[in-house]
Amino acid sequence: MLSFVSRRLATGVGLIATLAVLTFFFLQFGVSDVAQRIAGQQAGPDAVAVVEERIGVDRPVIVQFGDWVGSALTGDLGRSWFSGQEVTEAVMSRMAVTVSLAVGSVVLTALLGVTLGALAATRRGWSDRGVQFLAVLGQAIPGFLMALALVLVFAINLDWFPATGYTRPSESVPGWLLSITLPVIALTVGSIGGVAQQVRGSMIDAFERDYVRTLRSRGLPQRSVVFQHVLRNAAGPALTVLGLQFVILLGGAVIVETLFSIPGLGPLALNATSQGDIPVVMGIVVVTGVIVVLVNTLVDVIQAWVNPKVRLS
Amino acid sequence: MLRHTKLAAVAGMATLALAACSSSGSDDATSPAAGGSEGTAIEGRAPELRVGAVVDISTWVAADAAWGNEATYYMAVYDSLLRTSATNEVQPGLAEAWEYNDDLTELTLDIRDGVTFTDGTALDAQVVVDNLNRFREGASPDRALLDAVTDVSAPDDDTVVITLSAPDPALEINLSMQAGLIASPSTFDSPDAQTTPVGTGPYVLDAASSTIGATYTFTPNEDYWAPEDQHFDKITINYYADASALLNALRDGQVDVSNLNSLTQIPDAEAAGYTTNSIPVNWKGLILADRWGANNEALADVKVRQAINYAIDREGLLQGLESGYGEPTTQIFNVEGDAYEAELEDAYPYDPEKAKALLAEAGYPEGIHITMPQTSFVPASEPELIKGVLAESNIFIDYEQAGESFFGDLLGGKWSAFAFGLNQEPLAWQTYNQAIAPGAAWNVYHQADETVEALAARIRLGGDDGAAAAKELNEYVVDQAWFAPFYRVIGVIVTADGFQITMKSGQAVSNLWDITATA
Amino acid sequence: MSSVTPAAAPARRTGPGLFLRLLRHPLGGVSMLILAVVVLLGALAPWLAPFDPSATDLHMILAEPGPEYLLGGDAAGRDILSRLLVATAFSLAGGLLVMAVAVTVGLTAGLVAGYYGGLIDAAGAWFTALTMSLPSIIVLIAARSVMGPSMWWTMAIFGLFISPVYYRVVYTSVRSVRNELYVDAARTSGLGDGRIIGRHVLLAVRAPVILLMSGVIAAGIGMQAGFDFLGLGDPTTPTWGQMLNEGFYNINRSSNLVLWPALVLGLTTVALTLLGTALRDELEGTGDKRHKAARPWALDQEVPADIDHGDEPAGDALLTVRDLAVAYPAGEGYATVVKGGRLSVRRGETHGLIGESGSGKTQTAFSILGLLPKGGKVMAGSIVFDGEELVGRTDAQLNALRGSRIAYVPQEPMSNLDPSFTVGHQLTEPLVKVLGMKKAEARGRALSLLARVGIPDPQRAFDSYPHQLSGGMAQRVLIAGAVSSHPDLLIADEPTTALDVTVQAEVLDLLRDLQDELGMAILIVTHNFGVVADICDRVTVMQKGVMVETGATRAVFENPRHEYTRALFAAIPQGAPRSPLPGVSSAGSLGAGALR
Repeated sequence: MLSFVSRRLATGVGLIATLAVLTFFFLQFGVSDVAQRIAGQQAGPDAVAVVEERIGVDRPVIVQFGDWVGSALTGDLGRSWFSGQEVTEAVMSRMAVTVSLAVGSVVLTALLGVTLGALAATRRGWSDRGVQFLAVLGQAIPGFLMALALVLVFAINLDWFPATGYTRPSESVPGWLLSITLPVIALTVGSIGGVAQQVRGSMIDAFERDYVRTLRSRGLPQRSVVFQHVLRNAAGPALTVLGLQFVILLGGAVIVETLFSIPGLGPLALNATSQGDIPVVMGIVVVTGVIVVLVNTLVDVIQAWVNPKVRLS
Repeated sequence: MLRHTKLAAVAGMATLALAACSSSGSDDATSPAAGGSEGTAIEGRAPELRVGAVVDISTWVAADAAWGNEATYYMAVYDSLLRTSATNEVQPGLAEAWEYNDDLTELTLDIRDGVTFTDGTALDAQVVVDNLNRFREGASPDRALLDAVTDVSAPDDDTVVITLSAPDPALEINLSMQAGLIASPSTFDSPDAQTTPVGTGPYVLDAASSTIGATYTFTPNEDYWAPEDQHFDKITINYYADASALLNALRDGQVDVSNLNSLTQIPDAEAAGYTTNSIPVNWKGLILADRWGANNEALADVKVRQAINYAIDREGLLQGLESGYGEPTTQIFNVEGDAYEAELEDAYPYDPEKAKALLAEAGYPEGIHITMPQTSFVPASEPELIKGVLAESNIFIDYEQAGESFFGDLLGGKWSAFAFGLNQEPLAWQTYNQAIAPGAAWNVYHQADETVEALAARIRLGGDDGAAAAKELNEYVVDQAWFAPFYRVIGVIVTADGFQITMKSGQAVSNLWDITATA
Repeated sequence: MSSVTPAAAPARRTGPGLFLRLLRHPLGGVSMLILAVVVLLGALAPWLAPFDPSATDLHMILAEPGPEYLLGGDAAGRDILSRLLVATAFSLAGGLLVMAVAVTVGLTAGLVAGYYGGLIDAAGAWFTALTMSLPSIIVLIAARSVMGPSMWWTMAIFGLFISPVYYRVVYTSVRSVRNELYVDAARTSGLGDGRIIGRHVLLAVRAPVILLMSGVIAAGIGMQAGFDFLGLGDPTTPTWGQMLNEGFYNINRSSNLVLWPALVLGLTTVALTLLGTALRDELEGTGDKRHKAARPWALDQEVPADIDHGDEPAGDALLTVRDLAVAYPAGEGYATVVKGGRLSVRRGETHGLIGESGSGKTQTAFSILGLLPKGGKVMAGSIVFDGEELVGRTDAQLNALRGSRIAYVPQEPMSNLDPSFTVGHQLTEPLVKVLGMKKAEARGRALSLLARVGIPDPQRAFDSYPHQLSGGMAQRVLIAGAVSSHPDLLIADEPTTALDVTVQAEVLDLLRDLQDELGMAILIVTHNFGVVADICDRVTVMQKGVMVETGATRAVFENPRHEYTRALFAAIPQGAPRSPLPGVSSAGSLGAGALR
């Protein structure tokens, strides 16, 4: 198991390295005049040269990259070229917000997706059609439309939740919960469908398995076979989908956070990439990569734990 | 002998409003107010003020500061050497008193005693000198505000002397804005200066509960020298990157005082119970910058520039873009100022045929193409309308999507013409320095013109001849069609129940101390 | 954002009928209609649009719907209808571009990597992992800062980014096809790689590729709308997202601006997603068809009288099956898989039910257990167990019999054990839940049963997972489970077929011993005469769903009376065994190659 995890993590490190290299060199094309923009439009060549030296873009790209790697390995991701904020601090503080949205959304997706999927698979008939239809609807409506509709109804008309903004849990836990409810729902609605379909499919599949008949032949009632055996065996594929959903949710958060004016990674990414703020973009890419690799490894570990064939080999 | 200068003759002083969006108009205009807050007794402080902002602060470094919509951020943590009231009366700030020499080339400032920065450093004359020199060499887009300054010195701990190459009628006002911001010397070489301001101002940035680029929280500076100006126990400035987000925040009552992205948001804000406060701030139109034809040869021809002016349906655009909140105009000078001429208002009546004829005369019978920037913070319909109006006179605009480097590119001369809103500066001299002088930021190709320079030399000296020269300058600029203004618009700030604001003439945002709680 | 669910199940039915079947599918028909209308509107936009979609008119700003602007004017005085039509064209084109890029790249890479493997395979896996470790929107924004705000670039890059969806599906299909016999055969017959890919492999991946299309287009349209809504799009290519962006900006002034693009966008993505569901139903048969047979069930042929050797010894019948009919919905009516005859098993008797694969013997066994596969139903006849009629009983009532008085040993031991639970858990769970034993008691019983069925280290087997056991061991475990409740009747469905020849004999010996010990009746379902000859007292022969002949084993073997029975004996290569054999030979199987 330990070697399994370390093998996964090693692959992950390789992935992140690739990601970092690609991002860094790709961005070089987009940021030709960045020093002028930082120095200010009125700055003469001297001032621009000073800025170039300060942020280090006067050196060959390969040296810049080497430097970046060197300090990144010590945990220092540099400073934003524009705001001057330390990248580690900026990304970490915002990542916490985004991850809390994504995790909340994954949990909600898992709960609702599994419940609805199981309902559809066991009941079939009209419940099945209904669940499928809702899932499809949720999947089909773009997240931003859903977000705006939620705000109009639940924040502005009913006034149950704040329309925008984010309250830190350190300030007020109920306030925090209220502030992330609508964004989490907006993110979740689209992903429930996929998970519900997956659970439904793999449960229907599991129902047709020989061992289910054999268990039933021994007098076990339908219900206990479903809950103990069918769900357990349907969990693997569902987990894989949930892991994929996590990455999709991180992306969805970019739009949802902007609409809800939530200081997560989304607005930062939006701003940094379009400014050409390479240190910040690199920080976002690397930290996102690390989190995704960790989540995928976690999914694999749970997967292995659920599947004894993997666990014991 | 020091004299407390009251530039009362000047109706209002204004600054460059960097955002094209802070403009609007409304009937219930300005709240009555005069003379700022000096002497006003404040009993206790209201718990919290939540400000909605449409512009994020680009840097906290005082020497690199911009103004306009960003002013609120700076006024929270910094003091400037002088202040201006809501009616642009110059008042003491960190300088308690100030005096010019006879030929108006030396300004002596008496620095306030006993003031300390929030990091404990004491304020003295040398700190002021260092700050002024840093601004002159800094990266502020408005660095030119101190262009006339040749030397700054501190003869003793309390006195600062500013030496000018030539008289600058706007210096005192400039020192009340970004050019006069004073930061603690501890920030000068600090790597954190961009994110952690240290000033002497009424509030301190609470970094722990702020998120850069999103929300900024301030707590009162308990040692502030003018506690009567601290009206709140806490101030939060929320930056809304997205117009829908700001609109939703307004609808939900999440801000107490806010700028708007656009006048179209006024009905929403009023429906949500906000009061609209407005004051004339901007003129809006095209800046025909490339008068040398550096990027676009056609614009070098005055007939082409005049054709563009004839091609503009000013009344229609005012209705279409601003719901009629404003007045059509062809001049960029303030109505209250020396340069204003009522008869110039209709110098270029809407006449597509004449425009086409002028284009033909200039050698462009098929019309011309101009590339202009389009940004995501102006609703896409706005440039489309402008494009549609001009297209009727065979003036074809090709839009190019601008990135976050919009202002840099704009001021760097990337586009030969562009639609924009600029402050209507109260002084002709200021307008000159804003958009006409060779070094002016909004003369983005930095074109020098002999006629203009001769007039400027006369305006600088003031008096009747200065005023006459200002009128001549206005006429010249209109005739040469350096600009193609559409209309004057009004700046709007909305306030929630329980909050009151005194709008500042010609400014996108008011003085921070002019925002109060009424309850 | 809508996601693309990776579904890599093999296709069941493709072909020219797919389109028609989709039309008949309740969701497929409606969604195809909607999509057809939307596509038509988009394609004909240049001719349908009454106005230039970007022509502004100061007098028509936010105009109400009227004779000139049918849907009203937008904030720049443009005709909403014209803009909507053009936006439809651009939005659809964007979605199609995403799909085209994803299919081209994913299909090509998947084919090549799956077929040749090696370096390309590794590169594909690497790229797939790469795309899954970063949200695509961040990549798109970065690309925008480099390439500028071009819708085509953005959509193409997005297509590239989600091409792994296709890559994985195609790759998996190709891998499995590649090793199949016919590809090998094609290769040995001298077909080039290109021909093989074209002829065999492409055919195999056609279904999954079609299946994913609508989802990918919907994802592309959704991503584009979100991107444009944030104001990151190219203003020169109007899309639904841009119209919404402008609409929300003016929502208080006029709701027309939001209504129409939201409606068309919503309808289109919903229709695409529904079409995806319909496609999956049709291609994979996962749909929940509410079967409405046009014709009521009826026996479609005369059932011939069964032949009874009439040599039944005295003794009461434990199980009597009479005139049983089992049917499955099929097409407009039903397919009847069991249709009559008689079967009777007395207490303590070992009864063989023999027939070719597909003769309905396993269906008969499932009917007795009340565990017919999905869709199957007992339409007529009676099953009497110990004097009680089982047909028409509820599932709960049958549960009371299953596992306590009737037990079941399946054919394929590995697939009949839940891979996720230990052997011990699967043995004791019914003992605790059904028989109400204490945990420790159940554990003791399970261990002793494991020992009894001949497992050398019962404790170890008890703690094992199914995959750690051999096939023979697993079958012993299943037998142990079946007999754990001392049933009156044990139904063994081909209990030895999946096992090695040497193990087969041991398992039969075990069954015989257990029967002696517990005095239960055994109904053995088999296609193997050897098995029947070895342990059965009596035998019933089934043909095409009908029990045609029944009698004592020796009597039937010596004197087969039904022509089918005779034909069966004739088909055995070395001739019909005339007497019970000491061992069992697999050579005595019927059509072994065609089984399962």
